[in-house]
Amino acid sequence: MAALLEIRDISKAFGGIQALDGVDVAIDAPGIYGLIGPNGAGKTTLFDVVCGRQVADRGEVRAEGRAVGRLSPDRLARLGFARTFQECRVFPDETCLDNVLFGAQDKRLGVEWRQLLTRGMGARSARRDEAMRLLTLVRLDTYADRPAAALSYGQRRLLEIVSTLIARPRFLLLDEPASGINPTLLNVLHDFLLKMYEERPIVFLVVEHNMPFIMSLASHIVVMHQGRVLTTGSPADIQRDPAVIDAYLG
Amino acid sequence: MTAMTALTAMTAPRAGRLAIAIVALLALAAPFLLADQPYFLHVLILTMTFAIPAIGLNLLLGYTGLVSLGHMGFAGVGAYTTALLMMDHGWSAVPAMAAGAAAAGVLGVLVGIPCLRLRSHFFIIVTLAVGMILFALFNNLDGITGGAEGLPGVPRPGPLDLGFMVIDFRRLGGFYWFALVVTLFALLVQYLIVRSDFGRSLAAIRQDEILAAARGVNVFAHKLAIFGISTALAGLGGALKVMFLRVAAPLSFELLESINLVLLTIVGGAGYLAGPIIGALVYVAIPEILRFADAWRLVLFGVILVAMTLFAPRGLSGMIEAGWRRLRRGPAVTGEEAADGRPA
Repeated sequence: MAALLEIRDISKAFGGIQALDGVDVAIDAPGIYGLIGPNGAGKTTLFDVVCGRQVADRGEVRAEGRAVGRLSPDRLARLGFARTFQECRVFPDETCLDNVLFGAQDKRLGVEWRQLLTRGMGARSARRDEAMRLLTLVRLDTYADRPAAALSYGQRRLLEIVSTLIARPRFLLLDEPASGINPTLLNVLHDFLLKMYEERPIVFLVVEHNMPFIMSLASHIVVMHQGRVLTTGSPADIQRDPAVIDAYLG
Repeated sequence: MTAMTALTAMTAPRAGRLAIAIVALLALAAPFLLADQPYFLHVLILTMTFAIPAIGLNLLLGYTGLVSLGHMGFAGVGAYTTALLMMDHGWSAVPAMAAGAAAAGVLGVLVGIPCLRLRSHFFIIVTLAVGMILFALFNNLDGITGGAEGLPGVPRPGPLDLGFMVIDFRRLGGFYWFALVVTLFALLVQYLIVRSDFGRSLAAIRQDEILAAARGVNVFAHKLAIFGISTALAGLGGALKVMFLRVAAPLSFELLESINLVLLTIVGGAGYLAGPIIGALVYVAIPEILRFADAWRLVLFGVILVAMTLFAPRGLSGMIEAGWRRLRRGPAVTGEEAADGRPA
């Protein structure tokens, strides 16, 4: 049986810098997978390759047996890949609720045109309750009608994550979700991600530098160093691994 | 209760609907209200010939974040197509206008296919070049476009018999209603797009193209579709213009007119439904009002535009919206509202 997500021998260079150098990762079952490593290890580049923002120089990405490494980001999104960004991206002019509802919208051009006259209100109102439930879970329900630009950085991060989850993805890639979030919101985020996983067990792939956060959240850890996979294992094993301590954890 | 307090006590949608109803009634009744003022009717029709391409440009600039500096070239394609179909092939006005709009839209799609993948500044340069090429063609293809002299004698639509009255579109009052219907059609297209899921995807592209793609928007296809619609609307405006002026002349579709179109869209308020109408009114009306200043009127117009850019960066529509919001809030702003963070 094919792996859910298989990253096979991926290499990517930017000029003279080898960002990824033969990366192999196989994910056979749903779970929360942590991706850690020092800055410049290639974690975000790997996300960009998996989500179609960058095309690998070599190697392939397969999702449930299907080669997806050359697909555009929008096609991958429609196949069930959702991601957040290291620099945190939301639509600043839209309200929080509209940001979330946009995540749920069917964005195929043909579907959108058919809904020109109905204004897509049927689908929007059907998702409104779910959108409000998710916003409530991350304590953003009182900000639902405010523009995303008015939120703090940490709140925007939570909004970004909620906006991806409402699309009911099969692969969720979170790039440093805990960065810039205060300790209170960090607990909210931790509990929220665990609850989301319990409700719908899918593949969560989480890049993170906050070690207590990722070690308590993930069931499996992949460690990257200098564009390669250094090792993989459970959080407990990783924290004891001398190679990891030497390269990253110190 | 004074009229002002009654107005501010209304809910925003209700007040908006009332304002639209009053404007619509005035617009419909203009030929009666201005029966002895044909010059004002002339100015209003001219305003509409600019407003329609501006609506097309607003969809592109205001809602999708794409700048086209050659839009009046596409208006020219619609204009000449309509003129030639009516004059040489005997088409009636409405099918000829539809064909003109379609020709401009198809050309827009053909230009968009290779160019819309370019970064925004390269795309702007390409639209500038396309506008210049189209003007050169209008000006030099003497056998088809009549060259610099253009095509005089473009007919207006024939009379419409409603049973209880006959509307003669060849007269100024009748043509005003014809222009009004075409403008309302363009406004309806804009409204439907902006309020739809398609419009929401365009707004997403304007705010963050990378995020829009990651959320599943086919950015290129959406840009191509809106560019085609936008250029088709420009073509529709061009067709109306040559029917009104009764001549298709290249100077109506030159580069300067394209730049003016961008200017009036920004002044009116890019990204607002009413922006193109307000912008066109200002663009056509202010130079007319300033006629007393003789040769200085264009300088004065320029100064007014600079002042608007400085003091109303979101255009006149944005200024009106901010004024309306302030009026509804009253003089005191609560702490919660101050922390709201919305642009006032």
